[in-house]
Amino acid sequence: MKRRRRTRGTFEQTAAPLLFLSPNLLIFSLFIIVPAVMGLRMSLFDWSILDGSRFVGFRNFVRLARDAMFWKTLLNTFVYVGAVVPLLVAFALGLAVLLARPGRAMGVFRSLFYLPTLLSLIIVGIAWRWILGFDLGILNYIIRALGGKAVPWLTNGRLAMSSLIFMTLWTRVGYFMMMLVGGLQAIPETYYEAARIDGAGRVATFRRITLPLLRPMLLVVAVLATIESFKAYELIFVTTQGGPGSATKFLVQYIYEVAFEQDRMGYGAAMSVVLMAIIAVFTFAQFVARREEFGNE
Amino acid sequence: MTRRNLLLMAFGLLVGLLPMGAVAQGSQKITLSVLWFNDSNESQVFQKVMADYLASHPNVRLDMQVVPFNDYENKLKLMIAGGNPPDVARITNNQIAMFVNQLQPLTGPVFSDLAAHYFPSSLALGSDSSGRLLAMPTEATANGMIVNKTYFRRAGIDVDKLSLTWDWDQWVAAMRKVLAANPTCKYGVAVDFTPFRFSTFLFEAGGRFLTDGGTKMAFDSPAGLDALNFFKMLHDQGLAPASVWMGSENPQEMFAAGLVACHIGGSWLINAYNNTVKNFDWGAVRMPKRKIRSSVPGGKWIATFKDSRHKQAALDLIAAFSDKKHNEAYCRDTFNLSARQDADIVYPSHTADFKVFSSDLSVTPAYTAEDWKSPGLNKIYSYMREQIVEGLLGHQTMAQTAANIDAQGDTFLR
Amino acid sequence: MSKVIRYLLLSLFACLFLFPIAWVIVSSLKPQSELFTYPLTILPRHAAFSNYPTAFASGDFPLYFANTAFVSVAATILTVLINVMAGYALSKYYFRGRNAIFYAMIATLMIPLQAIMVPIFLLLKSLGLLNSLWGIIIPPAATPTGVFLARQYIQSIPNSFIEAARIDGTGEFTIFRRIIAPLAKPIIATIAIFSFMWRWNDFLWPFIVISDDKKMTLQLALANFVGQFQINWANLLAMTVVTMIPMIVVFILLQRYFVAGLTAGGIKA
Repeated sequence: MKRRRRTRGTFEQTAAPLLFLSPNLLIFSLFIIVPAVMGLRMSLFDWSILDGSRFVGFRNFVRLARDAMFWKTLLNTFVYVGAVVPLLVAFALGLAVLLARPGRAMGVFRSLFYLPTLLSLIIVGIAWRWILGFDLGILNYIIRALGGKAVPWLTNGRLAMSSLIFMTLWTRVGYFMMMLVGGLQAIPETYYEAARIDGAGRVATFRRITLPLLRPMLLVVAVLATIESFKAYELIFVTTQGGPGSATKFLVQYIYEVAFEQDRMGYGAAMSVVLMAIIAVFTFAQFVARREEFGNE
Repeated sequence: MTRRNLLLMAFGLLVGLLPMGAVAQGSQKITLSVLWFNDSNESQVFQKVMADYLASHPNVRLDMQVVPFNDYENKLKLMIAGGNPPDVARITNNQIAMFVNQLQPLTGPVFSDLAAHYFPSSLALGSDSSGRLLAMPTEATANGMIVNKTYFRRAGIDVDKLSLTWDWDQWVAAMRKVLAANPTCKYGVAVDFTPFRFSTFLFEAGGRFLTDGGTKMAFDSPAGLDALNFFKMLHDQGLAPASVWMGSENPQEMFAAGLVACHIGGSWLINAYNNTVKNFDWGAVRMPKRKIRSSVPGGKWIATFKDSRHKQAALDLIAAFSDKKHNEAYCRDTFNLSARQDADIVYPSHTADFKVFSSDLSVTPAYTAEDWKSPGLNKIYSYMREQIVEGLLGHQTMAQTAANIDAQGDTFLR
Repeated sequence: MSKVIRYLLLSLFACLFLFPIAWVIVSSLKPQSELFTYPLTILPRHAAFSNYPTAFASGDFPLYFANTAFVSVAATILTVLINVMAGYALSKYYFRGRNAIFYAMIATLMIPLQAIMVPIFLLLKSLGLLNSLWGIIIPPAATPTGVFLARQYIQSIPNSFIEAARIDGTGEFTIFRRIIAPLAKPIIATIAIFSFMWRWNDFLWPFIVISDDKKMTLQLALANFVGQFQINWANLLAMTVVTMIPMIVVFILLQRYFVAGLTAGGIKA
């Protein structure tokens, strides 16, 4: 297939993809690849914004191996990602299936579920602290009014992690739902008609038609959700700030603390490199596991 | 690296040369770039206060840029890394410690004359380790306590009188009485979630973060442990809410809602509570003492940088802003304590409360400022906070907390 | 019957979902002194509509709105155009390095932006893009997410469409414009929504690029309400509500294309 196409291609057909790609590639290389390479290089330096830099080879990486806080925040990150990704994909899929229909009402619902993604994170943090706060929070206020015992939503390490996972779902599910709605609408109606004529039930239709045809988009959602949750930082910063103690402190927050507060940009860059490598492994595992939907070669 | 610097320099030179044409034509127009952050409306007050200066210096224009506080430090770092810091910047004492090598020292007779009128603690925080002044104080802040006077009155305590002499134990006893007498009051005291605020206890217990000269950590000491254990006791016995240091509640909101009787915070709370608290009577009281009575000095400063483009004009502006008239007007309108010893300000309200903070500040040892201006200490700020919480949670002993903080701090002290 | 259950379920879920937002809107009408009272009150006792004009007067908000709108619209047009073109090239053409390019794009998604903020700043400075709205618009326009979405979606468009057009002698660019773009409408709408919302809400890029009050965007201005020790709640909440309105309008407008894509038959292969 590949061979045949290439030999048959006219000049226009060979040049077209390059032209289509070039504006994107130009901006991409200049503003993402170049700084990324600079960052990579930084990881080999004792690099301070204010006091200059010094080449240290792989010493930053060696130090990292013995840094207890690095391992702790890495573990926290894994717990978080492990919970967030499946939940996020499942909820986004559920909502998308319910909402990927024409009609005004569905449009309204889609808008409603998308709303939380529109809030700036400062406000998301404030809103949830007002709801989940132990003493001033609305939720505990209601629980107390009903005669219950206040729950330390953000004051207990385990619960704070669960609350954070919940808040992530709240702010992000609309975003991924929209992707899947787009994907669902690409499925030709004729397939469903055929299934109906065959007398397939709703569950069977979902399993045999919707799911397989939605897979390319599900892959996007899974990959993006994984990458995004590995990099989670802003939401945590405005809600738990990594606490109580370091119970919800993730790697990116630690990178930020080291790079900026302690002005050890090089060490921070080294941690970023490791984080990138970890995410890469997980991402490409997903690609490999679903090779058939990934490319159409 | 060097090649990039060369390129940057060449670029900077080019940009620097561009306005020369305009300058050569006569009227020496200068636009000072001013980087500022706001707690409420300080940037507007600054411009208002300096209006007369600008009127008498028609060649000077101000180009104000207001940056959110949370990202202010990074913005300054980026600008410095890029080789063009602002001409004038509002900064905190942590930032002075951080930018010691980049700030332009304020030397010359003008500044030494001005400095003679300022509180030594404010000047100390604005100076480098050799005592060279790097930034002029604009306002002083002090750690201190605000109490819900209505709650104390209901418990039959004359808190204004008691607080003139109280110590930690008497304070704790008073809080217990207040809690017993006021069912709506859930906690005795909320302390802001920062090591800076916690350090009030440390200094009162007679402790310090650093040794004399600031070359080594000295937090792990009997006094340091006394402060840590007292702080833990407050939390363990429910006098202090777990939800502030181990949760997400804002002590300011809790005090305003009437859930706590005392709030250990800073002098700017007077301004905040003036706006938010309408349901009860409140006021500032002296800090209770342990070994000594102490506040912790802080504040905001104004400075220029070695690489600033219009350094001389910036220095002139800073000097003018720091004289008695301008400083008093700025502090009155921003509702802040002045760092000038000769300031005599009548605030629109709560003048007496400001006096209480000033009184705490006047008995505060100078080494409190020495500790907090250390760049090393400021680099372990988040770490300290986390370690204290680990102790409060009971994940480790407070002795372990103190030892960890010292060990981490020593890696940054050179 | 099942329809009723579905609507009930969705409504219940939506209420839970919207509670925090409703709380923000209601609170934006409270005077500062009513925000923190205990026992909690849901509705404001004395509705302070004056929070809105006060917030507006605290800065040059019409200008910030104009700046933000310009950035968001220009960036969205640019992003959609270059990303859909790239997505098309990566899904329907076969050339050496195709997968390498795609993987490289995905890989850069994994870099935390904060970690490379300093190199980006130095780069923008040497390119003279600092302190210009174009400096916010262009650099983040090549989003890997957009390319990824476009690529996956366009892949599901049957090749036979393209081949048929080629046999008719249609040029490559005409194919893209006349066949691919219309069929990709739902994904174009999706990318446009994402891009617009992201740009409207973005803080980090404007923060890096802008250092002039006249070029400030809304998010920079909003963040200024949060001081070192004090938060100007009334202004912050009121302006937040106002800044959300344009996004909601854009969302509703673009949403039509979803339905349009569907009824136009999408792919009736």
